[in-house]
Amino acid sequence: MSPPLLPSQLFLCYFTLFVVTLFFWGPDKVRRGLWDMLMYRSPAWSSQGVPAGPKKPPSELLGLQITLLCLGAVLSRAMAAAAYELLVLGGGSGGLAGARRAAELGARVALVEPHRLGGTCVNVGCVPKKVMWNAAVHAEFIHDHPDYGFETSGVRFNWRTIKEKRDAYVRRLNEIYENNLNKARIDIIHGYGKFTADPEPTIEVNGKKYTAPHILIATGGFPSVPPDSEVPGASLGITSDGFFELEELPRRSVIVGAGYIAVEIAGILSTLGSKSSLLIRRDKVLRTFDSLISTNCTQELENTGVEVWKHSRVQAVTKSPSGLLEVTVMSSAPGHKPTMEVIRDVDCLLWAVGREPNSKDLCLDRVGVEVDARGHVVVDKFQNTSRKGVYAVGDVCGRALLTPVAIAAGRKLAIRLFGGQRDAHLDYSNIPTVVFSHPPIGTVGLTEDEAIFAHGKDNVKIYTTSFTPLYHAVTQRKVKCVMKLVCAGKEEKVVGLHMQGLGCDEMLQGFAVAIKMGATKADFDNTVAIHPTSAEELVTMR
Amino acid sequence: TRHLHFSKFIGKPEYDLLVIGGGSGGLACAKEAAQFGRKVAVLDYVEPSPPGTKWGLGGTCVNVGCIPKKLMHQAALLGSALKDAQHYGWNIAHPVHHNWSEMAQAVQNYVKSLNWGHRIQLQDKKVKYFNVKGSFSDPHTIRGLTKGGKETILTAEKIVIATGGRPKYPIHVAGALEYGITSDDLFWLKESPGKTLVVGASYISLECAGFLTGIGLDTTVMMRSIPLRGFDQQMASLVTEYMESYGTKFLKKCIPTKVEKLESNRLQVTWKNTDSGTEETDSFDTVMWAVGRAPDTKALNLETVGVKTNSETGKIIVDAREATSVPHIYAVGDITEGRPELTPTAIAAGKLLAQRLFGQSSELMDYDNVPTTVFTPLEYGCVGLSEEKAVQCYGSDNIEVYHAYYKPLEFTVAERDATQCYMKMVCLREREQRILGLHFIGPNAGEVIQGFALGIKCGATYPQLMKTIGIHPTCAEEITKLHITKRSGLDATVTGC
Repeated sequence: MSPPLLPSQLFLCYFTLFVVTLFFWGPDKVRRGLWDMLMYRSPAWSSQGVPAGPKKPPSELLGLQITLLCLGAVLSRAMAAAAYELLVLGGGSGGLAGARRAAELGARVALVEPHRLGGTCVNVGCVPKKVMWNAAVHAEFIHDHPDYGFETSGVRFNWRTIKEKRDAYVRRLNEIYENNLNKARIDIIHGYGKFTADPEPTIEVNGKKYTAPHILIATGGFPSVPPDSEVPGASLGITSDGFFELEELPRRSVIVGAGYIAVEIAGILSTLGSKSSLLIRRDKVLRTFDSLISTNCTQELENTGVEVWKHSRVQAVTKSPSGLLEVTVMSSAPGHKPTMEVIRDVDCLLWAVGREPNSKDLCLDRVGVEVDARGHVVVDKFQNTSRKGVYAVGDVCGRALLTPVAIAAGRKLAIRLFGGQRDAHLDYSNIPTVVFSHPPIGTVGLTEDEAIFAHGKDNVKIYTTSFTPLYHAVTQRKVKCVMKLVCAGKEEKVVGLHMQGLGCDEMLQGFAVAIKMGATKADFDNTVAIHPTSAEELVTMR
Repeated sequence: TRHLHFSKFIGKPEYDLLVIGGGSGGLACAKEAAQFGRKVAVLDYVEPSPPGTKWGLGGTCVNVGCIPKKLMHQAALLGSALKDAQHYGWNIAHPVHHNWSEMAQAVQNYVKSLNWGHRIQLQDKKVKYFNVKGSFSDPHTIRGLTKGGKETILTAEKIVIATGGRPKYPIHVAGALEYGITSDDLFWLKESPGKTLVVGASYISLECAGFLTGIGLDTTVMMRSIPLRGFDQQMASLVTEYMESYGTKFLKKCIPTKVEKLESNRLQVTWKNTDSGTEETDSFDTVMWAVGRAPDTKALNLETVGVKTNSETGKIIVDAREATSVPHIYAVGDITEGRPELTPTAIAAGKLLAQRLFGQSSELMDYDNVPTTVFTPLEYGCVGLSEEKAVQCYGSDNIEVYHAYYKPLEFTVAERDATQCYMKMVCLREREQRILGLHFIGPNAGEVIQGFALGIKCGATYPQLMKTIGIHPTCAEEITKLHITKRSGLDATVTGC
């Protein structure tokens, strides 16, 4: 379906039609004048002295007239290409979703992206991460094979195989995204877009200016690395971006950070056979999660062989002549004297200490788009920035850094701008999240602490359970599953669900639907279980 | 009549509640009743199967159902994981041999630990356990017989029958009983069943055939008509389609006529192909019947006390309170007429019954929107109405079916065919679009569907489902992204994120 024409395009079309009509059927004087103009002469009506031209334009001029018509059409097409209604900066989850939905609703859209399409999720995030997690899950399966009667021997892991397959898959997705944009007739502008100082918000890409009544910032973020001034040699390390470029499985890995990215990468590397240390500043990982999860996850990391260095910070990094790194770590547990230790022969030092927004090089100050102290674009619940006609979605806003959130926000915005639903906006409450740790974590809603803070201790009731999933009934390797329901008020409305265990990744989604609907503990109890699953434990809690 | 019932003994009956059958429903009911401080006893006795298999306390689910089935299904999944692992960079020397005895031993040990666990739980809850076969001698008196023929007489105020069901044999097929086994025996085999013929198209048949194929055995399913009767038929055919591509052989529209033992000790099966009208034959190491289950009500001597059964199915007729035609006698689980044959419904019904009997509760078991999962190689989970049923109840003009063919991320790198990974949601078409049924085929279907079952039980509508943010990258998130209707005729294949 081709998008409807803009007023300017329409005007051009009508104007061309008008001129052509005049040429054929207009008063002689006008026709002659037009003819003169076409012949690069002063029009007859402007100079009285010039002898009158032919009474009628010669009929062989018909070809020329057609040329004129075509020219008009081409011109209007070219104009249409330049006159966008929505410009999107960033071809990641949020930008792509917003652009496509806007195009579906009939808007002329262009998308500016300097790199491959798909953004963080597809290229250096969720997708390749989950592929690597799956590879690691196979390591666990292989461990369990003998317990289930399979006689395997001489198992070896080849990092290159999975890296090649993963890269090929990601490239395929890049192509799919490009095709999707082409199919939606969205123009892709390859290059780095920044705002200009023009009176109307304008984007400049490779020296060319583009403008539109609506501009969406969806430039995402990037992993941060401490400056060398703070941690000498820090730049010798890589980040999650670099993780996906590794050509071999590191023999000795040091991962710094306690967030979910640190937890996931440490889990993958360790499970695949790299000796891994995780350096955290406090005593637990995932400190913003419910205490059950942060405690259990820390425990599970240790169980699966990750060396967790608590109360630890990297002091310095040096490169030895062999090319391997030496990481000096200071550990200072409360009540203990700080100790200094060196981790040697490290071939992979990975910083997972947070992400920063891609906002600095956008020249946002030129259009008066407000950013916070960390550079996140400040938006309201409608994704409006402080500048009219400029919006932002996704990681660049610094809130709920998740692909589906960016997608949903992008779509809602498009619906609001081009779908006539003036109130459309994303509800940021009860967003379910999964961490692909070993075993995976699923969580939605309030933590116990948050619920107590919001409802008061007396109004919060907690249900917990811990069990060994049936899968592990016959395996030597035992990994328990823990679950917690946070309920509030007399009616025991379930306001939080937190779990870690086999299958929790696929388990959460449906429960998130119910919790968003306001399900109570009684509703959970009234749901018939599916036996034997782990999920049934959530509807049989006492 | 009460006076008459008490005529055979003097004073109060010995027990407040007597439960016949120590399976999922019976144990749940007994333990719950004991929580109210009542004097409770459970009678359990396992009549050996025709080939002689017997087991301990816990009923079908624990011994010859859900638990061993799911464990062997897990083994089969690991078998497929071996193939996937190559694509994920794992070099594994092939061929990989599967050792049945090893697996079976592990499964059986686990089941035995559960038998033990159930006995401990009864002890802890002060429920008396008798390993006797019970039958009614009068409405309040049960006569129990031990294996050795010793008699015990027990009297109770209230009695719950929860003796479940057992697999049926096709008695008209010569050699069926003599040479065939059922699911009662399969999980307790010490040696591999080898090349196996599974007869039947029920979920039990398909699940068993699925895991046998998965651990590398030559497996054939023989079915007379349609697979998974009662389930959504579009989903059912996808399930069997996948099994075919997975390596399970199917003999469709075939009816077995006889089983003979060959000199080689193999079993020669003869059947009639009703399509071609021809008679065909092949030999197998094992023939397993999965042609349905039936209750063993005869042994209970129900006629003496007047408990009514359905003459066709033999099942006990109960009302919404699980009460039989005799006021103080109740029944739960597989033995009851018209109820789903599922462990969780038996457990829930047993608990609620005990709460009504002794806990001043009036809450009834709600048998609507019972979720279930078929653990075939590609799992199938569902809750609510099938599309056929929805059309029948509401008319095709009044329902909207959203559907999608999706590709699980774990399949892409492993280059696995995802043709049958499919889901559909059946909704009312009116403005609110309440969800009537949800059907999902794919990995972890059981884990995926449970939460949605809760949502649907809460009355979820299509817009409510769409409001929930997806979890990326999972299979479950595809449900929250369903947007293509069947009516539109558009391609329902999911592309990209």
